[in-house]
Amino acid sequence: MKKTLFAVMIVLLALAVALPVAAQKAAPFKVAFIYIGPPGDLGWTYEHDRARKAVAADLGDKVKLDFIENVPEGPDAERIIRQYAQDGYNMIFATSFGYMDPMFNVAKEFPKVYFEHCSGYKTAPNMATYFGWIEEPRYLSGIIAGKMSKANKIGYVAAFPIPEVVRGINWFTLGVRSVNPKATVNVVWTNTWYDPVKEREAAVALLDSGVDIIAQHQDTTEPQKAAKERGKLSIGYDSDMGKIVGDTVLTSPVWNWSVYYKQTIQAAMAGTWKSHGYWEGMKAGVVQLGTISPKVPKDVAGLVDAASKKILAGTLNVFAGPIKDQSGAVKVPAGTTISVDDRAGMDWFVEGVVGKVK
Amino acid sequence: MRLHFEKRKSLSIGALFLVPAISFLASLLLTGLLLVAFGADPMATYAAMLKGAFGSGRAFTETLVKAVPLMLTGLGVGLAFKLRFWNIGAEGQLVVAGVAASWVALFWNSWMPPFLLLPAALLVGCMAGALWAGIPALLKTSLKVDETLVTLMLNYVAILFAESLYYGPWRDPKGFGFPGSAPFPDSVLLPHIAGRAHIGLYFAIALALILWFLINRTRWGFELKIIGSSHKAARYQGISVERKILAAILLSGALCGLAGATEVTGISHRLQQGLSVGYGYTAIIVAWMSQLNPLAVVPVSILMAGLLVGGDQVQMKMGLPAAMSLVMQGMILFPMLAGSLFTEFRIRRAGKAAKDAQTMAPGGAA
Amino acid sequence: MTESTRENAELLVEMKGIRKSFPGVQASDDVALVLRKGEVLALLGENGAGKSTLMNILAGLYRPDSGEIRIRGKLARIASPRDASALGVGMVHQNFMLVDSMTVAENVVLGIPKLPFVPNAARIRREILELSERYNLKVEPEAFVWQLSVGEQQRVEILKLLYRKAEILILDEPTAVLTPQESKELNAVVKLMQAEGKSAVFITHKMDEVMSFSDRVMVLRKGKVVAEKLTRDTDPRDLARLMVGREILFCIDKRPFEPKGLVLELSGVEALNERGLPALRGVDLRLRSGEILGIAGVAGNGQRELAETITGLRPTTAGAISINCVDSTNASPMSVIRRGVGHVPQDRVAVGVVGDMSVSDNLAMKAYRSAPLASGGVLRPKRFLELAKRMIEAFKIATPSPSTRTKFLSGGNIQKTILAREIEACSSLLIAVYPSRGLDIGATEAVRKELVAQRDAGLGVLLVSEDLEELAQVADTIAVMFEGRIMAVMPACDAEAERLGLLMSGAIPAEV
Repeated sequence: MKKTLFAVMIVLLALAVALPVAAQKAAPFKVAFIYIGPPGDLGWTYEHDRARKAVAADLGDKVKLDFIENVPEGPDAERIIRQYAQDGYNMIFATSFGYMDPMFNVAKEFPKVYFEHCSGYKTAPNMATYFGWIEEPRYLSGIIAGKMSKANKIGYVAAFPIPEVVRGINWFTLGVRSVNPKATVNVVWTNTWYDPVKEREAAVALLDSGVDIIAQHQDTTEPQKAAKERGKLSIGYDSDMGKIVGDTVLTSPVWNWSVYYKQTIQAAMAGTWKSHGYWEGMKAGVVQLGTISPKVPKDVAGLVDAASKKILAGTLNVFAGPIKDQSGAVKVPAGTTISVDDRAGMDWFVEGVVGKVK
Repeated sequence: MRLHFEKRKSLSIGALFLVPAISFLASLLLTGLLLVAFGADPMATYAAMLKGAFGSGRAFTETLVKAVPLMLTGLGVGLAFKLRFWNIGAEGQLVVAGVAASWVALFWNSWMPPFLLLPAALLVGCMAGALWAGIPALLKTSLKVDETLVTLMLNYVAILFAESLYYGPWRDPKGFGFPGSAPFPDSVLLPHIAGRAHIGLYFAIALALILWFLINRTRWGFELKIIGSSHKAARYQGISVERKILAAILLSGALCGLAGATEVTGISHRLQQGLSVGYGYTAIIVAWMSQLNPLAVVPVSILMAGLLVGGDQVQMKMGLPAAMSLVMQGMILFPMLAGSLFTEFRIRRAGKAAKDAQTMAPGGAA
Repeated sequence: MTESTRENAELLVEMKGIRKSFPGVQASDDVALVLRKGEVLALLGENGAGKSTLMNILAGLYRPDSGEIRIRGKLARIASPRDASALGVGMVHQNFMLVDSMTVAENVVLGIPKLPFVPNAARIRREILELSERYNLKVEPEAFVWQLSVGEQQRVEILKLLYRKAEILILDEPTAVLTPQESKELNAVVKLMQAEGKSAVFITHKMDEVMSFSDRVMVLRKGKVVAEKLTRDTDPRDLARLMVGREILFCIDKRPFEPKGLVLELSGVEALNERGLPALRGVDLRLRSGEILGIAGVAGNGQRELAETITGLRPTTAGAISINCVDSTNASPMSVIRRGVGHVPQDRVAVGVVGDMSVSDNLAMKAYRSAPLASGGVLRPKRFLELAKRMIEAFKIATPSPSTRTKFLSGGNIQKTILAREIEACSSLLIAVYPSRGLDIGATEAVRKELVAQRDAGLGVLLVSEDLEELAQVADTIAVMFEGRIMAVMPACDAEAERLGLLMSGAIPAEV
């Protein structure tokens, strides 16, 4: 019987050494989306999936738009991306930062497939990166929070201490302090994008510490629900969370990916697609401020509306100095603007944030 | 006809293979019912899974990529289980070893000749895994602290420790502040066989053979078997039980550690999120399915890896929710555990058993 | 009422054509058995003759492969002990099935069907006390089982059956764990129950018990009934021949006692038991090569601890031990083994062998460390097999094959396996703790002969036994142990049973 065992091992060994490489075959224009969470998260993935559906409705049966959910970041993602590429998909969107390196590796192997990675920085001739300046609507939502906070203490449930999240916290805080210089923004890290239980726990801990508004950078509405249950207010993110949770959500900075997805998929289909780094703001429509709750007084809403118009008109640049760090030192002097690279790698908090970038 | 159970006097290797195979089929049947309930075609789903895991060279390399850490941790966990040391800390040992190998890869290249860097990274990784397993082993052998809890808790310590490094001091200075260490130098990368499958596969297979030999053909293994059966009996035979357990658990940790070291040097090429995706826990299933036989660990790991890789297809091709592939993985365990009953016992018809027994040499009554 | 119906009414149990097999063994082979009301039936047979199997079938623990059972004339289907209990059948097993952490009363009512959710403790206590009064089974209902001696635990087991109103009691080797005095008390209890019209089946392999306890005796051999007689129509010699199938050697040839150099010396040795209480109190012993030193005493008076202390398994808290005139106080088990000491431990199944490993592996468990079984740390399976075959033949170990897992052997063959291994490995001192306990006559004889052969070959043998007959037959010198002390040491020829009995029970003070 031992011989059988050895035989099995030898066959396996042989298979491992002499691996046949399957031929690729052509297929109609197929697009795959790789999601970190489920579309039902009503947040980050929900917005990407909403855009996916919108594009599908627009372009009809010329395209086939598929998705896979709950893909962990890291080596497993590489397998999934490769699988799609190998299965004849023409274009693949990876919608989380941790998919960047895996996608970069796979892109090298499949030069004819278009790869698009969201929120990273690496590009290749057939791999683009895309993101939006959500900091603009974040700043606007900060104005509302700054005006509405009575405790002058605002909580912020944040996923990971990475530049994307740090920027969100910073420009939200800048918005808050533009109308309420006494207010602070208190950050709690959850170290997860998608974990309803952890997100809720973090919000509750912040509420216990005396904050009266909860802002967030997560993938679900749990922090908003926790605030509502405590009779407190909140600022949503990703999707228009007021429609889901109720009017305790004062507003939400939201994504509108369909603007971008439609244009880049059409470019790829037409053969005009070129590698790029897409970073746009409210003007392009990829980001915007969601519905403002009736709980927000008219004068405050007016203030926000005015600021919003200025941003669209180009007369308000939220990235302009002076910007001070937590120690009060000026990092971006007045009259200058923080560069795109400095924003992309931002690893420090502005004045008014309570917490540490680990 | 009446059936009854008989305890097997000696384990047949045929049963060793046949039983997991049959239980695997049974689990496919069970899951099939579930798939029908969800309105999916089970045969199409399985075909998609099979194709996704083994249907092409690329698919098979991806299965092997997942099988390597499962083999190594499966061997490590199985060795500990043989001693009835419930090491459920393979995950932590893997992560800590990944950290240690990364340490070598990132910081030793300034003074170490490049050709030594990879062996050093693997070796230091093994040592770190061994050390991490050594903590609960020492607590168990000297203070009789229950190892189950300690090994489990150390998993979280290891994962948080790794996180604190790649979010903190080890964060790539050129990485725009994103988490993850700098990429490793090329000299420390594990050579690949095909696709992403790396030579860790050869290590794993060689180690399975070595471990089998150690357990079944050496004094050391003989003593481990005695200890695994009864500490009292081992002590009576003059075996220094504590020392032997400690040594074996260090080896168990080193095996799990090698899994971590090969993952960072072979797959991720840097220390980052995603090093811990539950290999250490799946290893427990692998070890039991292999009935603690090191040789069986190799095919069983490939099977489990195939299930994990093929599971993607459930979503990608069949459009079923992601949870379905998890349910399928869970489903496989039940028949497998029931199957272990048949490796210990066999079913016979009542009359036949009696007749057989008469023809055998008279022994004592049970 | 006709003659025949009265006959039928008296027949409590009828078992017919019972067959039951285990791997490699036909434990019951077409067995028929009847039990009448008010009768005590002795089941006599060597280890592995199938006595326990047959009774486990009646008690619902095993299902027969074929055959039928009638209780009070009605065909009975006994699928579980609960079914048996409902039919009035109860069994006291060799290994008691009591829950240590519960009280006597709780154990007695445990598992009774339809017990109220909150049992009436006072009533249960009263009923238990009544029963124990009536049958002279003294126990304290509130005592915890772990506090009880083995004899007391047996009483609880019997009370359990009586409480369930059992009419048919099965006692599996009840005296194996009892002192002679306790055995007598048990006999009285059985007689009392018999007087009330209850019936009993009594499993044993001791002749004197058959003679004193039973009305009728059935002799089993290799799963078959070989004889069935009224006790008064037979005698021990006759039964012994039937049981073994040949004449028994009641005395062993022994060369004259010629002791040589000192092999083992203990002076003032003290040690603690598992609970941290003194188990050995100032033990002084001397054993020379070519001598069998018998340790007499009731089990639990420090004998096991004595053996463990000498072999390095238990720390010595005071005093000194020397083996072959070299100090071995608190030496490691390995170094004691290296000095040529063999040890047949008290607990054969859990300590003496590894049940999950093969007979061949178990036989090699001392010799595996060096050539020819191992070379450079690598084992040589062929040599294992050679050694096993040689030893199986030399010691007549009955096993289907050398690769059979040891736990499938009978108690006697497990003991032979241990003895074979230990004798093979030992070169100066052999320690044997209750080596013939629970063995049948044939096996006992083999073990005793082997001990004497080793003594004749120049080994020092330390024999712990509670069987005075064995000691008188085998030992050259006898030391009596009581509560961890050596009460007296005397040449075996001077030992009188009565005086030993008194020393063993602490009735007269120590003489050393």
